[in-house]
Amino acid sequence: MAGLRRLIRRPASLITLGLLIGLLALIFLAVGATANQEVSGRGRAAATLLLTFPGAYVTIIAFILGLGGLFAVIYGAAIAGSEWNWGTLKSAVARGESRSRYQLALFGAVALLLGIGLLVAFGAGVVVAILGGAIAGFPTSGLDDPAALGRLPELIARGWLAVVEQGALGFAIATLARSQLAGIGAGIAFYFAEGFASLFLPDIVKYLPFDAAGAMVATPGGDQGFGGGPGGGPGVSGLDPDTALIVVIAWLIGSLAVAATFTERAEITG
Amino acid sequence: MTQPAPSPGLALSTHGLQKRYGKQVALAGLELSVPTGVVYGFLGPNGAGKTTTMRLLTGLIKPDAGTIELLGRPFGQRDRRRLFEVGALIESPSFYPYLSGRENLRTLAATGAPTPRLRIEELLELVGLSDRARDKVQNYSLGMKQRLGIAAALLSDPRLLLLDEPANGLDPAGIAAMRATLRHLASTGKTVFISSHILGEVQQLADVVGIVAAGKLVREGPMAELLHGESVVRVRVAPSESDAATQLLGGLAPNGVVALPGDAGWLSVRVEPDRATEVNRVLATAGIYASRLETGSDLESLFLSLTGGSGQTGGEGTFFGLAGSSQPTGPTGPSEWQGGGKRR
Repeated sequence: MAGLRRLIRRPASLITLGLLIGLLALIFLAVGATANQEVSGRGRAAATLLLTFPGAYVTIIAFILGLGGLFAVIYGAAIAGSEWNWGTLKSAVARGESRSRYQLALFGAVALLLGIGLLVAFGAGVVVAILGGAIAGFPTSGLDDPAALGRLPELIARGWLAVVEQGALGFAIATLARSQLAGIGAGIAFYFAEGFASLFLPDIVKYLPFDAAGAMVATPGGDQGFGGGPGGGPGVSGLDPDTALIVVIAWLIGSLAVAATFTERAEITG
Repeated sequence: MTQPAPSPGLALSTHGLQKRYGKQVALAGLELSVPTGVVYGFLGPNGAGKTTTMRLLTGLIKPDAGTIELLGRPFGQRDRRRLFEVGALIESPSFYPYLSGRENLRTLAATGAPTPRLRIEELLELVGLSDRARDKVQNYSLGMKQRLGIAAALLSDPRLLLLDEPANGLDPAGIAAMRATLRHLASTGKTVFISSHILGEVQQLADVVGIVAAGKLVREGPMAELLHGESVVRVRVAPSESDAATQLLGGLAPNGVVALPGDAGWLSVRVEPDRATEVNRVLATAGIYASRLETGSDLESLFLSLTGGSGQTGGEGTFFGLAGSSQPTGPTGPSEWQGGGKRR
């Protein structure tokens, strides 16, 4: 709990969540405001898809996981990297704290906070979608659709696992780099490199962390690639959601194992 | 490799401790013996291996060879719990800048040895940060961070305290209060190990001194013992009269008169401090008038001769004035820490 309290107080936590919600609000409200100005029927139809429930639930989660994946990598890297930059890991180790336990507990707090952030962002997304819909004059009758609401917990749980995996990846990269800035930079590079590689190596990329995360939260209706890098859209996520779940868990465990093992063996200087 | 037998009566010892960073040798077989219940001054020039030793003693890095004993028992990779009885401040104090001083101590207290919450308030009081405990550490001055670092080192009420340059950034009252606190800790049977390059500070505080150079211990022993025979009188004359003064004083000092490098006109006369008047009289009789005269047991001279460095006269805290004593002259009680915690 101490770790969670510490993370909640950290400005980076609020800034990341604020950015995500801000962008979400900007898009949904802008779509709502311009929906009735669209001359073509296609624009109005797109706005209807985005702002009408229950379809909006899926759109909100897709948006959160798409951009949130990148934010999760950056956030995980920032948290792990700052432990080295600020020397706080050094202080804990010098007090006799177990290195790997410290890192795993820290990541546990990150995972919890990502879950809280996901729920808050989802709640905010629903509110701005309703507002956007109201501006556009769409009904909100689908809000309580039992089938959609029934699927939401699993979708959110899978979404949480996806962002946790992506956060773990950033966490591991920054731990290896022993630097906040290097970790964030390398995490972002990985994110975009995976998206770019998906153009040429789709059979391999589907097993990589961002693409697998996207596939894991794909809906039965055929939507896929909620998460994933810039290339993580339809046609790339070749894994079925359950296989993708296993791949994501493997990436999560692997990332944490790398971070813990490296920290355990590292020489802490500086 | 056979482990040496535990050393009774020693809070800390190292045997053949070696550490390299790539091709650079940081420690080349360090042998330390730190008795229990003393303030131990660990001296050395920059790059001598002081911080590397501190890191090894707290398990932050691993030795290439050699052994460490902490509190009478061997200390290795799997003995992290031994550090529950050790407090450390290594290099600069490390805190979360966006948390307050109190929150930082609470966060740190959640790691390592179990620490009661009340202890945090006691320590904030001790280091004079109670008034600023709710402020974010990013708004602290260097001295306040150093105070908080010392409080952090004391969190687990350690039997062995390892402090790397503890006086960094502290104002004179803070230094005096820190000195009193550390002396008090030693008087209660705890061992205080201080790494420093401020010789005057160590000379006032330490009971036992170890001097390290190029990764090896070059001298270790009780302060009084080491300084025996190191008494000098320093005199400053006009640079143009330096040669004449050297000749005159040569008759007084069988161990020699040395013109100190760096400051023209400064001479170091190796005689007992109570002969300072005689030094002055000899010079005055010959029409050479000293502009300054100082006495002391010169840790600096010993340090420089052992580490091969050259000195600057009048450096920070390196020499006590003629009228000074070897006792701290500032506020001495732990409560005097209060002085530096005022709002800026």
